[in-house]
Amino acid sequence: MSAATPNRSEYAPGMAGATPPCILIVDDRRENLLATQALLRPLGAEIITADSGEKALTLVLKSEFAIVLLDVQMPVMDGFETAQLMKTRPSMANVPIIFITAISKEDHFATRAAQIGAVDYIFKPINPDILKSKVSVYLDLYRQREQILQLNASLRQSNEELERFAYVCSHDMQEPVRMMNAYASVLTEFAGDELSEDSKRYLGYIHDNAVRMQKMIRDILSFSRVGREEVTLEVVNCREIFDEVVHELHDTIARKQAVVTSDGLPILKTSPTLMRVLLQNLVGNALKFQDGSHPPEVSVTAKREAHVWRFEVADNGIGIDPALSNRLFTIFQRLHREDDYPGTGIGLSTCRKFVRLCGGDMSFTSRPGEGSVFTFTLPDGD
Amino acid sequence: MRPQLDILLVEDNEGDVEMTRRALTTAVPAVRMTVANNGNQALECLHKEGKYEGGKTPDLILLDINMPRMDGKAFLNVVKESTEFKSIPVVMFTSSESPADIRECFERHANGYVVKPFDGTEYAKTLRQVVSFWGSTSELPS
Repeated sequence: MSAATPNRSEYAPGMAGATPPCILIVDDRRENLLATQALLRPLGAEIITADSGEKALTLVLKSEFAIVLLDVQMPVMDGFETAQLMKTRPSMANVPIIFITAISKEDHFATRAAQIGAVDYIFKPINPDILKSKVSVYLDLYRQREQILQLNASLRQSNEELERFAYVCSHDMQEPVRMMNAYASVLTEFAGDELSEDSKRYLGYIHDNAVRMQKMIRDILSFSRVGREEVTLEVVNCREIFDEVVHELHDTIARKQAVVTSDGLPILKTSPTLMRVLLQNLVGNALKFQDGSHPPEVSVTAKREAHVWRFEVADNGIGIDPALSNRLFTIFQRLHREDDYPGTGIGLSTCRKFVRLCGGDMSFTSRPGEGSVFTFTLPDGD
Repeated sequence: MRPQLDILLVEDNEGDVEMTRRALTTAVPAVRMTVANNGNQALECLHKEGKYEGGKTPDLILLDINMPRMDGKAFLNVVKESTEFKSIPVVMFTSSESPADIRECFERHANGYVVKPFDGTEYAKTLRQVVSFWGSTSELPS
């Protein structure tokens, strides 16, 4: 069985988990300790023994154990009492304890053992194969849990590094892009009359692409800021933020003759920045992803459900191809050509990351050609 | 309005120095611009040391944030904690829009925070507005 478990060092070389797991065997009879020790040695774990409950308790203060084998009948402090005291330590709460006993096969002992938190109850004389395979199962579980913990830690670390990388990168890239754009315009202004039409066009390309790159950098920066900067919760009037966002989008709304309405937007305790980012992106997208055959209609509504507010932003736009829907919230994923629907593919991923950070979630439904409904939930803040 | 404004530009990017110089040639009031490439040089300038000997105390400091050696925030600290220089208006002129940077600079008593506009024409216009504003406030007491 242990052969099926990948070597931990493959996952995280040199990390603390590379040390073998420990088994603690507690029995007042030395010959029993030796026998069990010999039996379990092939499993590859480190084995530590104690000949009394008191000694066992001292040992669990010092070391971390994958499993404890505990004799029930011992002088001074019996196995049940020892287990009970062990379980009061937080580090021992999840450590499996197997009781080994010769005294009784009566149910109430097994029941008491289970109440204390024993995972198993083995009777003497011990069947070596059964004990070995039981211990082996718990060792594997322990190893797997350790692996998951280590993987989680290294994932968390590389995520943090990536976010920091994105932040530093985009922050430092702003400067040179701005400079490129500035000097393209200085050149146009400076030498405008002497430039050929081609040269002017080429300078135009530099300008257009610098502007596009700047937009991307700003979007990456706001994506990476979510989670880096502290979220402050305030009493937020969502209707007011909606009105401000509509005001900001006024030119687009007027040009497209769009109708943007709201209903039931609450006052709730949340991040005002989050609400603004969500409405800017979702209403902005609803206005953008339209084929121009009819005026856009966008409605933003909210209703209260158990412990959450559910917001919906519905539009009558081009909709989303269901085949592409799983890519929608992935950063840099764009489902359309830049010329058709300009954008950086960061907005929705920023929205979902932010919503999740605030304890909510985000999803959508759509009918291609008829429109989409984006839904997000937020804790009601009470 | 004063006939001339002495500005200390603290900026390490040559391109920005050049852009600023160009923008301010047509500024009202007229500008005499001194350049320091980092906080250390800017301090030398305030103390009229080294290559800045015989110079004038600036009427306004335009200060970038990200610079080698002493950065903008550290220099701002020194200026605003000094009895001699704290009355000189300091306007941050930077590409950082980070809320943390903005907050920190105002906490250190910056007199203004202007994000360098991306567009070249806007850049020049904004600088001239800054100069016009500070040029029309009363002169510093000597």
